[in-house]
Amino acid sequence: MRNPPALEQLVEALRCLPGVGPKSALRMAYHLLQRDRKGASHLALSLNRALEVVSHCNLCNNFSEQPTCPLCASEKRDASQLCVVEMPTDLMMLEQTQAYQGMYFVLMGRLSPLDGVGPREIHLDKLVKRALDGVVQEVILATNYTVEGEATAHYVSELLKARGLKVSRIARGLPMGGEIEHVDSGTLAQAMMERRNVK
Amino acid sequence: MSISTSRRDQQPVFVLHTYPFKETSLVVELFSRDHGRIAAVAKGARRPRSVMRGMLQSFQPLLGTWSGKNELRNLHSLEWGEGLLLLQGQALMCGFYMNELLLRLLPREDAHETLFDYYAQTLRQLGQIEHNPITLRRFELAMLQEMGYAVPLTHDEDGRAVEAERAYFYIPERGACVVQAKTAQQSGVQLAGKTLLDMARDDYADVQTQQQSKQLMRVLLGHYLGEKPLHTRQLLMDLQQL
Ligand SMILES: [Zn+2]
Repeated sequence: MRNPPALEQLVEALRCLPGVGPKSALRMAYHLLQRDRKGASHLALSLNRALEVVSHCNLCNNFSEQPTCPLCASEKRDASQLCVVEMPTDLMMLEQTQAYQGMYFVLMGRLSPLDGVGPREIHLDKLVKRALDGVVQEVILATNYTVEGEATAHYVSELLKARGLKVSRIARGLPMGGEIEHVDSGTLAQAMMERRNVK
Repeated sequence: MSISTSRRDQQPVFVLHTYPFKETSLVVELFSRDHGRIAAVAKGARRPRSVMRGMLQSFQPLLGTWSGKNELRNLHSLEWGEGLLLLQGQALMCGFYMNELLLRLLPREDAHETLFDYYAQTLRQLGQIEHNPITLRRFELAMLQEMGYAVPLTHDEDGRAVEAERAYFYIPERGACVVQAKTAQQSGVQLAGKTLLDMARDDYADVQTQQQSKQLMRVLLGHYLGEKPLHTRQLLMDLQQL
């Protein structure tokens, strides 16, 4: 037995979600049409609306409904510092710490050589333009400490240093309350290598 | 209870690459010393609290435990192996380049202990010195030779000893040919006999040897890689345009 064409089309459409195969897509479609039609209609409307109004901030590249997002437009932020992160969730985590008052740039990814994700996909040209606005003094690289995040940090720093900007990288090492006995040897080795002078 | 014979414990491995699999898992391409290149599923490795998550990093000597006989094994654990490598800067891109070559050229399930050791040694060298093209040339040559592709350096295609002063045309699958009008039309690279002899002796001090060996390896790798270009090479070119 075949499903009605419109249902088949929905299943096919749901498969664009990451990690969703044919079976999960079918389960989702049945759920939406059978158990939660109200939720389904809400989902359809929200999706349409988001597509219409959400775009990228012309300064930080984060999602925004305005050409310049509220954070970039705020006059309370320190415009001399620019922090580069991979994803919007990273920005949100940093904001939660309340330890940083500067501006951001969201790459929306990382250099991933083996997946063919290069400088264009992570908007490095836009970042260079942003960092050279004449106000930014220091660029802080807060990409992940994975091999891809490290490679991204390296090439971004080369690009910006060549243009005369001061570039720093967020520190790594033992976690808060970390006990040497229980920390993994990779972190420990790095903490030893990147030790700092005691003032 | 009998332990399945397909289980492999604490094998020396490197992670070559990972990609998403189903909702929360990853497929991990491993280069193992004793079992060659294998693919294994790291179940739940994309969950935030997964123990394996932080271990799935390339360029680190790891010890892997897996089981299964299918093309996709089940990866049970990864632990830190001997010595920690910290690749930085351009060395990282050299590492990605080597991984891409291995993923493209090394067949699955084919043990290459010598190549594995050479790969580990090259990573150690990359960790110590900033980007060094000669390190990559050595790896490229050793990799092709270990995989069984003949790269004759001391004798030409007719079995005569290569002469340092002579010009040769190097053609994939054939080797060094004495330059004639008809060889020049084929895909290959023109180089001095000295370059081939230097490479055979593993001596890259001469600037001309460095340049010509680079061209030679590019033509040879291009021949075995086929049409599809290398991502890492393209990425480096794109970066230079910024
Ligand atoms: Zn913004």
